[in-house]
Amino acid sequence: MKTIIILDQIQAGLGGDERSDTPLGGKKIAMGSADNVEKALEAVNGEIIGTFYCGPKYYQQNKEIVQRKFSKMAEKMEADVVIVGPTFDYHDFAEMAVEIGTAITENTNIPVIGAIAKEKNQELIEKYKDKFPIVKMPKKGGTGLAESLDNLAKGCQILTNKGDIAKFKGSYCY
Amino acid sequence: MQKKFEKVLMPVASKLGNNVVLMSLRDGFLIITPLIIVTSIFLLIGNFPIPGWSEFWIKVCGPQFPDWFSAVSNSVFSFTGILSAIAIAYAYGKNRGLDPIQSGMVSFISFLILTPTSIVLGKKTVSAVETQFLGPNGIFLGIIIALISVEIYRFAIKRNWTIKMPDGVPPAVTKSFDALIPSALVVVFFFLIRILFSLTSFHTAYNFIYTILQTPLKHVGISLPSVLLYNFLASFFWFFGINGPSITNSVWQPIFFVSTQDNLKAFQNHASLPHIYTQPFIDLFTTYGGGGSTLALLIVVFAICKSKRLLELGKLAILPGIFGINEPVIFGLPVVLNPVIVIPFILCPVLNTLISGIVMNLGWVAWTNGVQLPWTTPPIISGWLATGSWTGSALQIVEIILNILIYYPFVKMLDKQYLKEEKAAAEKDLDIDFSEV
Repeated sequence: MKTIIILDQIQAGLGGDERSDTPLGGKKIAMGSADNVEKALEAVNGEIIGTFYCGPKYYQQNKEIVQRKFSKMAEKMEADVVIVGPTFDYHDFAEMAVEIGTAITENTNIPVIGAIAKEKNQELIEKYKDKFPIVKMPKKGGTGLAESLDNLAKGCQILTNKGDIAKFKGSYCY
Repeated sequence: MQKKFEKVLMPVASKLGNNVVLMSLRDGFLIITPLIIVTSIFLLIGNFPIPGWSEFWIKVCGPQFPDWFSAVSNSVFSFTGILSAIAIAYAYGKNRGLDPIQSGMVSFISFLILTPTSIVLGKKTVSAVETQFLGPNGIFLGIIIALISVEIYRFAIKRNWTIKMPDGVPPAVTKSFDALIPSALVVVFFFLIRILFSLTSFHTAYNFIYTILQTPLKHVGISLPSVLLYNFLASFFWFFGINGPSITNSVWQPIFFVSTQDNLKAFQNHASLPHIYTQPFIDLFTTYGGGGSTLALLIVVFAICKSKRLLELGKLAILPGIFGINEPVIFGLPVVLNPVIVIPFILCPVLNTLISGIVMNLGWVAWTNGVQLPWTTPPIISGWLATGSWTGSALQIVEIILNILIYYPFVKMLDKQYLKEEKAAAEKDLDIDFSEV
């Protein structure tokens, strides 16, 4: 299962808030916190074939370009599934994640799944939860991180195999 | 193994983190903390750890020099008990869905009802309040009053025991009448409590709580095993991605708060310091560069690492790290769910606690005077300011070196692993070129 993960610069391990203007980029490995997602994916025969990253500030100023390039590159790399997040409770990242996730869902045939904490993001979740599955996860420093990453991996597997996503959504998503 | 731990830990962490009483204690203390930091700076200037400092300024400004500064520091340090009662009731009321200001006020009044209001001076009795009842020794009483008064207030509000005003009455007036019966209930309760204690050998609620609760709890909480457990758990939780200190602080913070205030008071009065284990001890002598003492990790990265990933992270994280911020390390390295790094991440704070505790106990290093520096104060400077002695800085240097030695083999292992990954990736061109699409 070839997976692409989309992160902001903090989760990709490229710096803090002050680097929010990091332009879009990517590497063909699991960067930063994608490491933990990859470990969870390994349990369901998945691998990360690429980490796409972008600072939320850069994204805000170049939305159309980022959405288009990420969609096209995911298609070019023949990903089976795209993960947006995990965003924890970082609001700007969560906003970027749901918008990019929606763009990929609408412009490609690749399924998308997200992981967002409800803290600070309740409105976003309400607005986008029907566009693609958004797995429940804790805020930064909250409890239940490992469990939510396992659920995220399970979701990727179901989406790739075109399994019963409705049941999965009922149990682990918003 | 990790999953098993998580299964056991999650419910405990979640319960502690979401417990409304513990949460309110933590939030309440956070309201007072900025005031303590600001006034601590005044105390520090008045008593700067340079020989002859005060004498020099007294010569320049006159004998009133120390009074100017102690007036500011006293404004908080002599009233931490009553401030706790107000701030914790505010937070508890808010978390319980009540009007927070009204909650703080009823707690404040309740505290005053239980406070002795006369002092015997020779043969005369004068009306006055001794600050000893309102300061650090009254913190536990303040906590208890805050929780009980808000609970009674809530009891009445929940049952709608309020005076209803007709429509058209301004909201401020309605609100004031709403508070009437609940406030009366709280006042009557503490009125009876005051009478009750006056009939006992304790005479006051203050004496009772101080003797029965605050003193024994302090002895248990402010001990080496307790502080070791605190630091072990704080680091251990991080491994699972849980903000460890936010859990452990909910249990230990009241105790550290009291011990810190005790030391501050003693320092201000030029008396000997009563406690080794205070909040500044925890903040400044157990971890360096944030939880897990990750400043040492970053130093090792710069000294030996060749992996691009680690060097990049090091460059980004070193400056925040010097100021005790290590989010980039915790999530970027990552520390979370990383079984290699978790070992030194737990070991360093625990060992630092043990060493600092022992050398301070032996009298080799000066104790923390309770002055609460901003937690972002870099090590070496913080060690000197918090103890008023160079021995504090020396201890910090020794412990940072020790932490470097502990982190060394683990970081080296990680570097090897990352280098291998990077090499393999380099052979197949790692970067994704977005100009192609």
